[in-house]
Amino acid sequence: MAKARALDRRRKSVRNIRKITRTMELIATARFKKAMDRSIAARDYTTQLAKILENIAAAGAGAVHPLLDVRPTQRTAVLVLTGNRGLCGGYNSTVVRQSLAILGQWKSERVATHVTVSGKRGISALKFRGIEMAEQFTTFEDKPQFDAVVPIGRRYLAAYAAGEIDRLDVVYTKFHNIAKQEAITEMLLPLKPPEPAGSAERPTQLASQEYDFYPSAESILEEILPASFLARLFKCFLDAAVSEQVARMVAMKAATENASGLIKNLSRQYNRARQSQITGEIMEILGGVEALKK
Amino acid sequence: MADTKTDAGVRCVIVTPETTILDARARFVTLPLFDGLLGVARGHAPFIGRLGVGAVRIVGEQGGSADRPREVFVEGGFVEVGHDAVTVITQRALHAEKIDADQARTELATAQASKAVGDDAIAARFKAIEAARALARTAGR
Repeated sequence: MAKARALDRRRKSVRNIRKITRTMELIATARFKKAMDRSIAARDYTTQLAKILENIAAAGAGAVHPLLDVRPTQRTAVLVLTGNRGLCGGYNSTVVRQSLAILGQWKSERVATHVTVSGKRGISALKFRGIEMAEQFTTFEDKPQFDAVVPIGRRYLAAYAAGEIDRLDVVYTKFHNIAKQEAITEMLLPLKPPEPAGSAERPTQLASQEYDFYPSAESILEEILPASFLARLFKCFLDAAVSEQVARMVAMKAATENASGLIKNLSRQYNRARQSQITGEIMEILGGVEALKK
Repeated sequence: MADTKTDAGVRCVIVTPETTILDARARFVTLPLFDGLLGVARGHAPFIGRLGVGAVRIVGEQGGSADRPREVFVEGGFVEVGHDAVTVITQRALHAEKIDADQARTELATAQASKAVGDDAIAARFKAIEAARALARTAGR
């Protein structure tokens, strides 16, 4: 009897766990949809900025700006975006691994690094490996606000303009589509110079339109480059948030399925144990009856 | 201009980094450029301009009320005008009716009361005062 009862108890606890992981999966799905909507809504801004940049480049301006200067890297900044919470598969660990790779590379080249980490998971993982962090954030959840990202971006811009850093890399999980996200290191500063419209795949329409610039192409470029940097930085935060939810969704789905499999196996074992117990009891009774007959 | 399509007006889109806050057709649009207001109707020559702080007025919006133009407060940014489309790209945009007038006035008072030392800080202070004043003005209308 003891074995069957123990099996039943285990089955019950697995069932409870399945309930929890299933709920977490549903929550992650809802959050993912919201984060995705925000990410899509933010896309227009980047597209429009890129369009203007193309037109400025087509007008002939655009090669000279402090943010476009490529300097030899002597001091660099790295921003690592991880989640605040676990239970999301390999999401945090792949970002941490990626960031360790780039930090190791800078260390071997003897480049001073200024490390900023967002997310409790990344902070504790990097602290464990003895990496010094200049700044830490734990305020970014599934809905990063642009207003919260701006001060961080402005600080990088000021540091870059003042020559305190020569390069900025962001390590985060890029969201390609729901089936594919990958941890990557993206260089945000120095900015890539804008390319004229028409040189790429989209040839006609825009390039043929002659734009006037008020006050001048150079002055607009001066304002638009920081804005496009901030937009790209914000995009990194949004991508990281969406990817985290997808990762959690997938991990919890797998956990739920695994729990269902366990329950199936445990039920089978339990039934077998119960049946053999009953058989044993019947055999005992029969044995007793035989003994009485004699 | 004897344009048969004049009635169609211009399409006005206002985007911020977080979302598109307005996408509508209107008779014409007034834009607060860095050096003053500029009206754009259908057929305006294409240009790209820098915006100052102030309200974008959307007059004769389709489906909107005829006598009260819609106003959207924007703080800096850019505008791209194509042949029949106005795209405003800004970091901060607010519908005029959603601005809290009292809060805007308090913001203005705080900005005016603040002290600044050094060229950059003084410039930043003027910018903040200008922004707060424009916000209060938009709210007050």
